[in-house]
Amino acid sequence: MQPTEIARSLSAQWPCRDVQTRQLACLLHPHLPSPPTLVVHGVSATCKSTIISGVLSALETPHAIVRSSECITGRHLLTKILWNTLEAFGQKDEWEKFGKGRCEHVSTLAVLLEECLAARPVEKRGKFVLVLDEIDRQREASPTLLSALARLGELIPSLCVVLVLSSTPRPLFLQNAAVPHISFPPYTRKEAIEILMSSPIPNIEGVPTETISRIYPHFVATIYDTLVGPTAGSIPSFRSICDRLWPQFIAPLVQGETPPGGNTEWDFARLLVKNRQLFRHQGESALVHRIVPETSYTPTERFRKPLAPTAAPSALPSLPYFSTLILTSAYVASHTPQRLDTIFFSKFSSSSLSARNKRAHHRRRLKVLSQAQAEERQQAANNDPSTPNKKGKRVKTRITKSTLSSAFATSSATTSAIGGAGGITGPSTILTARPFPLERLLAIYHAIDPNPPANPIRTGAVADQIYAELATLRRLRLVVPASGHHNGLASTTSGNTSADAGEKWCVNVSGDWIGELAKGIGVEVGEWLAGGLD
Amino acid sequence: MDSDGLGDVLDLSKDRSQNQEQRTDMKNKGVYIYQPAKSGKPSGERPSKRRKVSSTNITKEASETEGFVPLLNGDENPECVQLRYNTYKQLWAEQEDRIQVILEDVDAGVLKDVSSFVRETSPETSNGCIPTALVTVGSNVSSLSRLLSRLNDQLKSTNEGGVVVLESGDAPNLKTSLKNIIRAAVTNTEGTDGYQRFLTDRTGPRILGYDLDLLHDYVQRRGTKKLVLALRDSEAFDPGLLTDLFSLFKSWLDRIPFTVLLGISTSVEIFEGRLPRACVAMLQGQHFEVQEAGNCVDRIYEALQTSSDGKMWVGRNITSTLFEKASDYFQTPEAFSRMVKYACMSHFFANPLAVLLGNPDPSILNQNRFCEAIRNLPSFRMFCEDLLEVGSANEARSMIEDDDYLLRAAFDHVNAGQEIMRRIFSAVLLIHTCLQHTQASKKTPVSDISVRALSGELSESPLVEDMLTTLKTLDSEKLGDVLITLPTLAEGSPLTDIQADLKTLLETNSDSLPLRSEYNVNSSVVKTTVVQQRVLLTKGKANLREQDIEYTRIIDRLVSALQVHFAETLIRPQELFMHEAFLFDLRNPLKETFTPRPRFAIERALTSPFDYLMSTITPDAKISAKQPAAAILYQLYLESGALVNVHDLWQAFYGVYQRDENNKCDDRVVMALFYGALSDLKMFGMVKNSRKKTDHLAKSSWMGM
Repeated sequence: MQPTEIARSLSAQWPCRDVQTRQLACLLHPHLPSPPTLVVHGVSATCKSTIISGVLSALETPHAIVRSSECITGRHLLTKILWNTLEAFGQKDEWEKFGKGRCEHVSTLAVLLEECLAARPVEKRGKFVLVLDEIDRQREASPTLLSALARLGELIPSLCVVLVLSSTPRPLFLQNAAVPHISFPPYTRKEAIEILMSSPIPNIEGVPTETISRIYPHFVATIYDTLVGPTAGSIPSFRSICDRLWPQFIAPLVQGETPPGGNTEWDFARLLVKNRQLFRHQGESALVHRIVPETSYTPTERFRKPLAPTAAPSALPSLPYFSTLILTSAYVASHTPQRLDTIFFSKFSSSSLSARNKRAHHRRRLKVLSQAQAEERQQAANNDPSTPNKKGKRVKTRITKSTLSSAFATSSATTSAIGGAGGITGPSTILTARPFPLERLLAIYHAIDPNPPANPIRTGAVADQIYAELATLRRLRLVVPASGHHNGLASTTSGNTSADAGEKWCVNVSGDWIGELAKGIGVEVGEWLAGGLD
Repeated sequence: MDSDGLGDVLDLSKDRSQNQEQRTDMKNKGVYIYQPAKSGKPSGERPSKRRKVSSTNITKEASETEGFVPLLNGDENPECVQLRYNTYKQLWAEQEDRIQVILEDVDAGVLKDVSSFVRETSPETSNGCIPTALVTVGSNVSSLSRLLSRLNDQLKSTNEGGVVVLESGDAPNLKTSLKNIIRAAVTNTEGTDGYQRFLTDRTGPRILGYDLDLLHDYVQRRGTKKLVLALRDSEAFDPGLLTDLFSLFKSWLDRIPFTVLLGISTSVEIFEGRLPRACVAMLQGQHFEVQEAGNCVDRIYEALQTSSDGKMWVGRNITSTLFEKASDYFQTPEAFSRMVKYACMSHFFANPLAVLLGNPDPSILNQNRFCEAIRNLPSFRMFCEDLLEVGSANEARSMIEDDDYLLRAAFDHVNAGQEIMRRIFSAVLLIHTCLQHTQASKKTPVSDISVRALSGELSESPLVEDMLTTLKTLDSEKLGDVLITLPTLAEGSPLTDIQADLKTLLETNSDSLPLRSEYNVNSSVVKTTVVQQRVLLTKGKANLREQDIEYTRIIDRLVSALQVHFAETLIRPQELFMHEAFLFDLRNPLKETFTPRPRFAIERALTSPFDYLMSTITPDAKISAKQPAAAILYQLYLESGALVNVHDLWQAFYGVYQRDENNKCDDRVVMALFYGALSDLKMFGMVKNSRKKTDHLAKSSWMGM
């Protein structure tokens, strides 16, 4: 089969990839010489793997495809390559001949592959294509793995290795010149719309087909221009948004409403005007994938409440009383500079007016400082986008004005940390959640306890109970050990609940929720926070 | 589990009894090494071998009486001990069944939803994403494992697949978690040996333990249609690891039918927010909610206390402790029932009177001691005083002098008391049902009512008064509903008559329903009269119809009947003679056992070591060289600020020894002690090196937190 024919047959199913298909077909044709190595690259959802496997099966070139994402280690990958090759030749039962099915190193792989290829029956000897999909995402790969794999094709004459990358390759990344690259660029506007229009138009009962076929192209183009294009969306997300919004878009027509302006028939422009709200509310939420999809309104429902917001978020969880109080103390401890502890939490002066004034003064000062810093940072970021993030810095033990302000600079970092919750974000003027030692949490717990024991001397210490509850909070990742918070290394030991005595902790959720929880048990978080009540 | 828990209690008591005998011994010894007795085995016997089934049976039988020790200063008959133990076993077995039924019933709804979700979804129905069930459990953490095991049973029995449970502890990294998943999936149906066989008996090269090819093989062999992977504590997993796992699953989804089930304790939003967007994009599914623990705990309590054949009850102190714990802390229903079990067990373990609950033959009792014990009860004294007051001095005398008479009376009163307790709780239930109708918004749980009933305050409480007032204003239709749902009172009560009367009244006046009593708002009218330019409002009764007056009479009868009933039944249980036998209300063993305080104990041991170590010398100063070095150093440490100069500390430490030994101590020895003590404190995490000043130590813990 000629490359052009293949391109024609494939483009019916996978449109807009003619050039790439023809290039691949030429390079991988069984009767034409191939380059030893071939690099195919392009961002995800650009049809790379599909086109390659389509071309290979159409050409009937013997080949093996290894999905690198399914291999856990580099060794696993090499073993998989060997097995899949054997399977492609139908020699799977003779695995014992080839290194007993084991392959620990690339050099071994080269030898074994050569043996494999040589062991083929004479009439089947010819070109063999090995496709390594998403090879740049291989886990636990050695740094030389890629260039070593690229060299396989040079060592074994009849082998052609195709490396599929989803990142744009750096120049000479294989330490080898003259490797042909085939690029799969993202689809352009025209192509994306064409692809979507090539699938059958969703039919809707009660509406004549010609009306739909008149309106639908406009609708698809509008969706692309408003939602998909600006966000660099992929074809699947484009398609799912269209599928989701189309029934709602066409709803006025289905319901038989009278079009405005004395016209007798709906056209695209009128529908669009009618559905302005749809794009604003539904469209933007359609871009974000959620695990639990929001229940899409049926046309009748939407009709009754056209301005209703998207499905209300499920109620936030509530914790037992004691745990709530501990979490609140942890939050307050994380967001108050230690320097100000005596001013905010000292029991001796808590009721006097001057103490309250002092607190208010500090809250305001911290807030002003943080705002100024945030603005400055924003300006700096605008001027030079490569400004290094200051988060990586070690937190100094001594709180000077500069450390304070650098802490403010990463404002709203509660949400930018690993625990950042998408839907719930705290006020941006609050300090970064900073680690605190356990003893400080205990002390603050006693300070903010809304129901302090009547006789603190005689009631037993609560520290032991706090530890127990803290363990649970840690399991829920509401409070985490500080080392895990900073470099993410300790978090690999997930589920480990042992703690060191001097270890520091850090709160890991946003403020709004904790504020709500604390209000439920009678603690006003804002009273203790910098910039909280203003 | 059961025998272990028992064993612990047992050991403690043994120590206590040994203490009494060997008190003199102990005084000289000061410290002794605590050697726990091996549960179920006499210490001399060699460890039993696993294979010999018969020999383990013998030791087991021996252990059954061993659980409980003779009380009454050791004079209790072995038969009584056995009987107490057996009664406890039997009683708790019944209660446990009840709890199980409740737990299963609570989960039933969610289980149905989840299993239908698992059966009906596939990657095709969820846009090529991994089908995901998000189960929010709140603080009711244990319910998920019950749910999962039942789901697993269902799937296994229909040969559809199985559930693989993964906990955060099993997943330190990708390789190990995959290995664990594969092993769990295979052993779930094939057993451990099956897994080994599965690994070895396959043609082809040996596959690494974490290769999902293994699972693929297994799925093909078994024809598995649904493989549910459940993460019990999803929040505790590392988000990066989850992303890796899910991306793997997604790429295998065309070959292995994965369904992911995530247990979430906070909320879906928080959980979702922590995952990378790429990870969220791979999942799609539904959200399920498990009932809150509080509700479940209430139902368990109700079932335990109000059952019609109850023999033993927990008192108000314990009830309030239990519910405080349930509302203030993360607690599972299982933990709740364990606490109740502990309370029940301590009653039978430590109270010789508990033998009366087993209906013993009087001959097996050690009559002399037993009667002495009864005569020491507070309730016995109260009872005798009451007897004297009503003038039956003879009876009181025979109670005190005649053992047989006393025993008979005790038996009778235990039975009567149990009957009264049952009636109290049936009255509690009655009030609870009525409240369901009269309280509009906030429903009072059974536990609250029970606490009041157990302290004897219920019949005069505002709760009941409010209820009765609201009851009066109900119209005939609502009253009919109330009467139908009310449990039957004791025999011969006027309630049945009232019901019958109401019925006839309604039948005769079926055209003018509903009937309203005079207490109803609609039945009173407001008259306005203008007197000297002022408006006077006077409330007056509207002219009631004949049948309404009749209805009012019925309501009055009902309310007064209820009042009489409550006043009769709701008495203070503490006033009953022999209530100690069937009412357990000691707060202490329960509270101490379930809130251990290690930090407090360490601090106390360090500040006043002679609370724990016995010393013949009474120290004059608070700190003395007789104390352990770590304790001395700790007390000096308490006196210092946040930063301590080590040399100052050493000087003070040396000073203590110098003062006690009259300047004759070897400072090298003291230095060694100082180093040892300092490293002890460091190990406790109380001091660390300070970065601010080189020769200083930083304090890292404060006392009394």
